[in-house]
Amino acid sequence: MATPETTGGGRDARRWLVTLAARERRSLGLAVVAGVVATLATIAQLGLLAWVVSALLVEGAALGALLPALGAMALLLAVRALALYAQERLGQRASLRIRAAVRSELFDQLARLGPGWLSGRHSASLASQLVEQVESLDGYFARFRPQLMLSVIGPALILGVALWLDWLAALFLLLAAPLIPLFMALVGMGAERLNRDQFEAVARLSGHFIDRVRAITTLQLFGHTRAATLEVHAAADDYRRRSMRTLRLAFLSSAVLEFFASVAIAVVAIYVGFGLLGYITYGPSPELTLFSGLLVLLLAPEFFQPLRTLAQHYHDRAAALGAADGLMALLAERPDPVRHDRPEAPADPEVLVELAGAEVTRPGRGQVLAPCDLRLARGEVVALIGPSGSGKSTLLQLLAGFVGSGAGERRLAPGLALAWMDQRPLLIQGSLADNLRLAAPDASAEAMAQALERAGLGELLARLPAGLETPLGERGAGLSGGQAQRLALARIFLVEAPLVLLDEPTASLDADTEAVVISALEALAAQGRTLVIATHHPALIAMASRRLRLDAGRLTEVHHDASP
Amino acid sequence: MTHRPDTLLRELRPWLRQLDRRRGRLLAGAALIALTLLSAIGLLALSGWFITATGLTGLLLAAGIAASLDVYVPGGGIRFFAVSRTVARYLERLYNHDTVLRLLADLRGRLFGVLASLDGQALARRRASDWLNRLTADIDTLDSLYLRLLAPAGVGLLAILGLSAFLALFSPRVGLAGGALLLLGWLWLTLGQARLGLAESRAQVGELEALRGRTVEALQGMAELEAYGSLARQRRELHEIEARLYRGQLALGALVALGNALAGLLVGLAMVLALWLAAGAWEAGRLSGPLMVMMPIAMLAMSEALAALPAAFTWLGATRGAAGRLNELEARAGARAEKMPVAAPPAGPLGAELEAVTLHYAGALTPALTDLTLRLAPGERLALCGASGAGKSSVAGLLLGQLEAQRGAVRLGGMAPAQWPGDDLRRRVAALTQRADLLDDSLAANLRIARPEAGEAELWAALAWVGLDAWAESLPRGLQTRVGEGGGQLSGGQARRLALARLYLRDPDLVILDEPFAGLDADTAAALGARLDVWLQGRSVLYLVHQLDGGAFDPPGIDRRVTLVEGRRDPRV
Repeated sequence: MATPETTGGGRDARRWLVTLAARERRSLGLAVVAGVVATLATIAQLGLLAWVVSALLVEGAALGALLPALGAMALLLAVRALALYAQERLGQRASLRIRAAVRSELFDQLARLGPGWLSGRHSASLASQLVEQVESLDGYFARFRPQLMLSVIGPALILGVALWLDWLAALFLLLAAPLIPLFMALVGMGAERLNRDQFEAVARLSGHFIDRVRAITTLQLFGHTRAATLEVHAAADDYRRRSMRTLRLAFLSSAVLEFFASVAIAVVAIYVGFGLLGYITYGPSPELTLFSGLLVLLLAPEFFQPLRTLAQHYHDRAAALGAADGLMALLAERPDPVRHDRPEAPADPEVLVELAGAEVTRPGRGQVLAPCDLRLARGEVVALIGPSGSGKSTLLQLLAGFVGSGAGERRLAPGLALAWMDQRPLLIQGSLADNLRLAAPDASAEAMAQALERAGLGELLARLPAGLETPLGERGAGLSGGQAQRLALARIFLVEAPLVLLDEPTASLDADTEAVVISALEALAAQGRTLVIATHHPALIAMASRRLRLDAGRLTEVHHDASP
Repeated sequence: MTHRPDTLLRELRPWLRQLDRRRGRLLAGAALIALTLLSAIGLLALSGWFITATGLTGLLLAAGIAASLDVYVPGGGIRFFAVSRTVARYLERLYNHDTVLRLLADLRGRLFGVLASLDGQALARRRASDWLNRLTADIDTLDSLYLRLLAPAGVGLLAILGLSAFLALFSPRVGLAGGALLLLGWLWLTLGQARLGLAESRAQVGELEALRGRTVEALQGMAELEAYGSLARQRRELHEIEARLYRGQLALGALVALGNALAGLLVGLAMVLALWLAAGAWEAGRLSGPLMVMMPIAMLAMSEALAALPAAFTWLGATRGAAGRLNELEARAGARAEKMPVAAPPAGPLGAELEAVTLHYAGALTPALTDLTLRLAPGERLALCGASGAGKSSVAGLLLGQLEAQRGAVRLGGMAPAQWPGDDLRRRVAALTQRADLLDDSLAANLRIARPEAGEAELWAALAWVGLDAWAESLPRGLQTRVGEGGGQLSGGQARRLALARLYLRDPDLVILDEPFAGLDADTAAALGARLDVWLQGRSVLYLVHQLDGGAFDPPGIDRRVTLVEGRRDPRV
């Protein structure tokens, strides 16, 4: 059933959705079976209705004698209700499993791609892909897929019954049947166009609204809010006028479906009526009875109902196709091939990590780190200096294994644990303790308090009535930038990682906090850990035992006699 | 079950009142839905009557008994209903979509007005983009109040009452019994479904948000999670949140499926009941054969009136949640709007003072300002230095009347900012905020925020003052050039200068400048500094700066400096 494709959701997106649906073939298949059972029950129940009427009016049966038939109708109604319930539940469960699996795969993929890849991405929009976009696949699997099959099987079954009753009446329905793919195309084009226009316009309109809300402080300060409120209203109203123009056309497609359904009923009714009066002597008409005539009439709306339902679910499909594009692109990203190779151990047991001719190339940016050799021994404090964009972060990510080296080799002491800290430390919604346990799940309260003390948060901890159990808001709301940074330091104190990698740990801190962080780093160095600090800060550079300079991706060792 | 109908109504009431303003349109839209439904029922019922009548007449004719039937009136009726169903459906969809979009414009306008009167504390807490997304989602949810909930329920009820009354004309028993059964069904499908789904459908928004929040955390902190080997643990937690979300979805899905199945079952049972009672009436001779057949068939057509109700009402809690959140926002804004100005502020350059002020943001572990005393004499230029988070912006917010201190006094020209007539405060105090808030609009529109009545010449003068005139002249669309989302088409320095140009269009007595030269190169900063120095003559100035180093980036003419460290004055300076 080909539908012209007009959205970005091209053939690949459709194929991907079909592949996903195939994973739940059993549930979705059973949903279709349940739908077929419901259709059969409907046909049987309508047949009984026509039979009862005919028995009463034509054969003169007594109502009392027909009670079993009425009972059977009630029973069929119950069967139909159960089947419809089962159809919906099977679809829902299948959709749920598919969505959970897709989200899990996306997460696996992001974990494979790693922090190096993620650092260049907008995490809020990635998160909305993982959450909202995956959720928007729901309707497609839960409703659209089963209905797609039923919109073929249902009308076919009804047509079969109608053929048996009166082939001429069935012909009227059949005349509409070749038009069904046309309906589908029309409805599809309409719905898809509607969806595309709507998507874009709604996005633009939301953009306008969000844009104004973002600037609301400025608008307040300039006393401009009243005018802006009118603008917001005017923009929404303008959107309405423009979208009504396209809707006039888009709604026509569903009107066509409605028209055929209505006309088919009317034509069948009038044909049957005239046939029963004996006005039509052609074909099977003389054999028409009240039973067959009435049943054909009752079946006519049921013939079109699956299609009308499918049309209602069409926006589910469009939404899923819209999401599929972005999700597929994410799944198609190629992870760093060497990132997950198990590194060899350095020859010298005192060396924690060793780079031999390692280099990093990033798509679209070329070589960001030229081949370099580097050996970091136990207890060294290394300052990594150089202008911003020279590759300091990349070198740290390479040492951490967040990016793989395109050529050369990275060797790592076996079982080496490392700690990481950058300008934006991870803070999760939960208590202070939860945030510390992120690094060391089994840490005791004493150990955590001590780590906080060492990171210069002892005073804060003492002031908090709930202590370690004090909740932090989402993304650390409630902590100042300096406090967040020190919390990340406390995590490093809590773990026994011999190698500590720090990316600009003192950027955007005031002088006092800076001093606290620097003395904490000195304490870490005193514990004999190896520190690699990318920094511009003179005090941090001064405490280093080694200085490495990066210039446009080229690494050179700065000797202590030379000025940094 | 914590559901109380009075609270539900109370939460929805402001929004129902909002709908009431467009009562005429809503009623017309509902009438079109009713007409569609009437045509659908009429088409099927009349066809059933017609076939039975022709069938019975045909039997008589076949038996050689003279009988006649007017086929033209019912035939015409059938054709009429077939056409009116199509036309009414098309018009209904078009008209109601238009209505919904009008409602959306109303809601957006109303909510924006509410947001515009929120204070800085509320806005600061709600800055995050996910909050904005939720706000727009809430508006969209409320937008469907009419078309998804009110209209189908109202028209469904009307259809039940209308059909029962019509059938009662011929057979009161069929009308009453069928109507009662359908009414019971209607009550279940609306109120019953809503009640059962209320708590869970309301919780869904929160669960989805928790999932998104945790996902953002995990993505932002992937480096640390991987380094500490805690990725798997974070994944487990994400999985638990997702499982909670899906348990709720499954429960709601079961409820919707139940409602849908029940809707079909009820209509079917009403049909069987109508058949039985009508057949009894026919046997008793009180009803003709065709009318008897029409009754169950008319009942069957009612399925269209009830089909949309279960899904919509099971999710009523989502609408309620959206209404509740927006009500909360309105209440907060309303509380602020109540304060009345009391006196006229003095003329000339404005002095300002903070006296032993403590400011604590809701949810923060430590206060933003602690016991802070600060004076700015009229005409003075004071530099307030400190790292980000030291409390500089909080001081500005207090003076601008956007924040309120928990303790201590804030005075502007000798009066608390809240006592100022709002328009006076905005006119006489101007601020350059840290972020240059640019609208996704033209250069001219962005400048006219500062002075809506400004002519082109004034705009060009302002651009010349910040040295952007040559650049703007080089643009093909000149002042009509759009700056992109958040000023994205401009460089950071250009955006900063455009924000400064806005200030130039005002004539304030107190100016608060947060890092005025951020993002500029040294030459531009020096040139602009000289012009700024002249413009600031005769005004009081509060500079907010990270640190002063005596170079080109220091703002001009500083009389005095004060340094803040974590919300307190640094005693060393």
